[in-house]
Amino acid sequence: MEIDRTTTALLAALFDPKNAAAWEAFDRRYRPILTGFARNCGLRELEAAEVAQETIVRFVEEYREGKYDRSRGRLGAWLVTIARYRVLDLRRKAGTARVERGESAIVNIDDEQSVTQAYEKERRHAVLREALDELRAKSKTDPRTVKAFEMLVYHGLSVPVVAEELGISAHDVYLAKSRVAAKLREIVQRLEREFEESPGEWEAPGARPSAMLGE
Amino acid sequence: MGGAGRSALGDAGRVNWDGSDTTHSRLGGNPEGCGALSRDALELAAIARTEPDLKLEQGVEAHLFLCARCRAAVDAFSADNALLGEFAVVKPRVATRLEAALQAEAAQPSGPIPGYQLLGEIHRGGQGAVYRAEQIATRRACAVKMLLGGRFAGEREMVRFEREIAVVARLRHPSIVTLYESGLSREGEPWFAMELVEGERLDRYVAARSMPPREIARLLRTVAEAVAYAHRRGIIHRDLKPGNILVDADGMPRVLDFGLARADEVDGADMPSASRTLAGEFLGTFAYAAPEQLKGDPAAIDSRCDLYALGTVLYECLTGRKPFEGARSIGELVQQKTETVPPRPSVLRTGVDRDLDVIVLRLLAPDPARRYETADALVEDLERFLDGRPILAREDSVSYVVVKTLRRHWVISSAVGLLLCTIVGATIALAVAYAHAERQRVRSERTLASFRDAVGSVNPESGAGSAQLTVEQFLELIEQNAAQELASEPAVLAGVLDTVGIVHLGFEDAARAESALESALATRRELRARGECTDAEVAESLHNMGRVLILQGRLGEAETSYREAMALRVAALGADDPRSMLTTRHLASCLRRQKRLPEARAMFDELERRALAIEGYSALELAAIRNGNAFVASEEGQHEAALRAFQDALAAIRGELPPDDYRIGRSLFNIAVEEEKLGRVEDARRHGEQALEILRRRKGGDAATVQRVEQLLGSSSGSCRTSQAQTSLRAGSPARVPPWGLRRCPAGGTPG
Repeated sequence: MEIDRTTTALLAALFDPKNAAAWEAFDRRYRPILTGFARNCGLRELEAAEVAQETIVRFVEEYREGKYDRSRGRLGAWLVTIARYRVLDLRRKAGTARVERGESAIVNIDDEQSVTQAYEKERRHAVLREALDELRAKSKTDPRTVKAFEMLVYHGLSVPVVAEELGISAHDVYLAKSRVAAKLREIVQRLEREFEESPGEWEAPGARPSAMLGE
Repeated sequence: MGGAGRSALGDAGRVNWDGSDTTHSRLGGNPEGCGALSRDALELAAIARTEPDLKLEQGVEAHLFLCARCRAAVDAFSADNALLGEFAVVKPRVATRLEAALQAEAAQPSGPIPGYQLLGEIHRGGQGAVYRAEQIATRRACAVKMLLGGRFAGEREMVRFEREIAVVARLRHPSIVTLYESGLSREGEPWFAMELVEGERLDRYVAARSMPPREIARLLRTVAEAVAYAHRRGIIHRDLKPGNILVDADGMPRVLDFGLARADEVDGADMPSASRTLAGEFLGTFAYAAPEQLKGDPAAIDSRCDLYALGTVLYECLTGRKPFEGARSIGELVQQKTETVPPRPSVLRTGVDRDLDVIVLRLLAPDPARRYETADALVEDLERFLDGRPILAREDSVSYVVVKTLRRHWVISSAVGLLLCTIVGATIALAVAYAHAERQRVRSERTLASFRDAVGSVNPESGAGSAQLTVEQFLELIEQNAAQELASEPAVLAGVLDTVGIVHLGFEDAARAESALESALATRRELRARGECTDAEVAESLHNMGRVLILQGRLGEAETSYREAMALRVAALGADDPRSMLTTRHLASCLRRQKRLPEARAMFDELERRALAIEGYSALELAAIRNGNAFVASEEGQHEAALRAFQDALAAIRGELPPDDYRIGRSLFNIAVEEEKLGRVEDARRHGEQALEILRRRKGGDAATVQRVEQLLGSSSGSCRTSQAQTSLRAGSPARVPPWGLRRCPAGGTPG
């Protein structure tokens, strides 16, 4: 099994400072999530990138120092706590509240539930993105099937147009969509298991990662 | 169209066109149905729940109504389809979509980018991927870059980006990679095709050859020339770094991606990985960015960001390391960049010249105002360094300030606008340069505001201006405005009045020049007494005052003024400083006018000796000194010698100046005078007419110099021609400063 498969395995490997592959995998997995999260908190791209960077660096430091107690809470909760402080920090430095970018949903950073949801959303997106990447790169699905799926789902093209463009029947277009859906569900299910720290092992019931708040 | 396809019913077990077979087992308890319906039929039934267009085969609905197993199977397929809704918000990254398109290309004649065949990935970076490609129509090899950002970019950003590409596509420079064309891919992502450069990254190229500092400076000069070229067209690179500069097989550096990087398009998901070194490597992306860029304020980004990046590149090429290392966050990096000074390159690598140190550190100045004003200025200094001439980096150069200020504050749209802006630009630039020296930003801002008002007041559409507005009237407006706005800022006011005086002086309007310069001088003397102004500034006013007095023929007073100016300048700046030499030359000329010829000749000889000893001394200034001596010779009656000297002076300055420069006109006039004295009437008339043409254009018909030429022509060729010339001149439009007047004729540049 690849080292970066499950979060559990990844964290174990991450203990070794010389294990560059573990670093890379951890970074690849969590940086986009944290960046997206920070962006949803109303930060600009560069600031969001900074939050992600600082969060990852700090987490790994604390983790290697043994501050992150697995029994205390899930990895995601820990990361969110760090990231949230970084966002608050940036906002404080900026002085006043930033003029919002006109986005409808900016996370209310003071509301725990809203923050958790925002992280969860980004995490889910990361899973979906990876699933898509895998569908293209690894699965044996015919590229035309993928193409039909993209034309329908992303570009909002109608079934007849897609059929015409790809030179297949309308039924085949429908079936292509359905095939891709099934394949993606399969990949997503597996990835979700890999992304998740298995709750039984990681999460002590009722434990909140309060120790993390003390920065 | 529901029945357009093959029969789905009773077709179990066939191999689908996508290669999968219909009976493969599905993970997580796949719905199988009872077997009466094919899997296709079950899937289609699931789809039909959300797709009203899809008509099911006869009998399918009836079976589903009766069979619970098949209904469960359809439910399961529906759940899969619901997942697709989630995917609609997660658009795949460009590169991977492109990969998919590449895979599809075999089956599909038209690729993701119309007209191009993509042949493989060359590079993938923060912004997207670059592919080797072939333009199908021309079989031309090129590189195609697809940009990330579609996921977050709105319509407006896309339009702006497209527009910028169109501008960049017009850049034609041997060191800038040419853009061929651009467009949107079938996926809706922006792409552009450019010249394919097979080269080595600048840093690796330099490192692999252990290149000596001089060679590095030579390479960087070429890069700076390319950057200057783009800046002159209003295009800022924003992301200069070794990875964007390739050195081709001929050793020619080529800059990629001009004008295409924008801070707001940096996609966090594609930042370089933090994996290699916890923080250092990651921050590599930001190592080349100017501090004001890192602070994320788009308004603070101008062409000087590129200069900062070039400074970092030069530093890295010279020393093998970046000027600032070890920061753990962007905040820390900004702090380092704004609050600390990196070690001089010469400390890290032996053989780096001190002048190169100065150039690099100047580029890395945290305050953009302390960097070079333009890339052209950097090119000039690198050239000076390469030629072994003294570099200019230590002092602010007014002409660069002028050019820069102009570019930043005005859109020049008409000849009149250009004319006004040049005068005002120079005035402001002087004030700005002065304010910078004093580290008083507020002052310069107030000055700028004041001059914007002044310019506004002569706008013919909203203020008092008209096409008939004379320079005198315009300067008066400036003077009034300055006196009001800058009453509380006497130091800036004095600088402005000084410039106004110089412009009047240029038009030989002695009375107005005297009034302005006198105020400037008085103000500066007061400020000097309070320690708020330097001796050099008082000397500047005294020098200019001397010029006015000469113009009025008040030679004794002029001598006093020049002597005081010279004493202050020599004490403050040293005897070899060009400004000290200039004042000395004017003083010598003043002595000559007073017929104190031996004194004048001794002073000119001394100046010439000293000028020749200074390496890189201005050829124009040297010519002016020799010109002064020629005047002495003429006064002494040695007209042959004087004529030869004037001719030499003309030959010396011809290569340095445009053919219709005022000083060329003056030299022609000097030659004509000597020729007339020697009785060579035809030569005298020819040269006199040439001189008249230039001076008339430059100074206007009323200037004393022009009238003197007219007199000369009158005495040598008859009154008819003269009166004709005078009539046509007098009837001409009021004098205006040509737009290049100030730049080419700096204060005190009048020879003789």
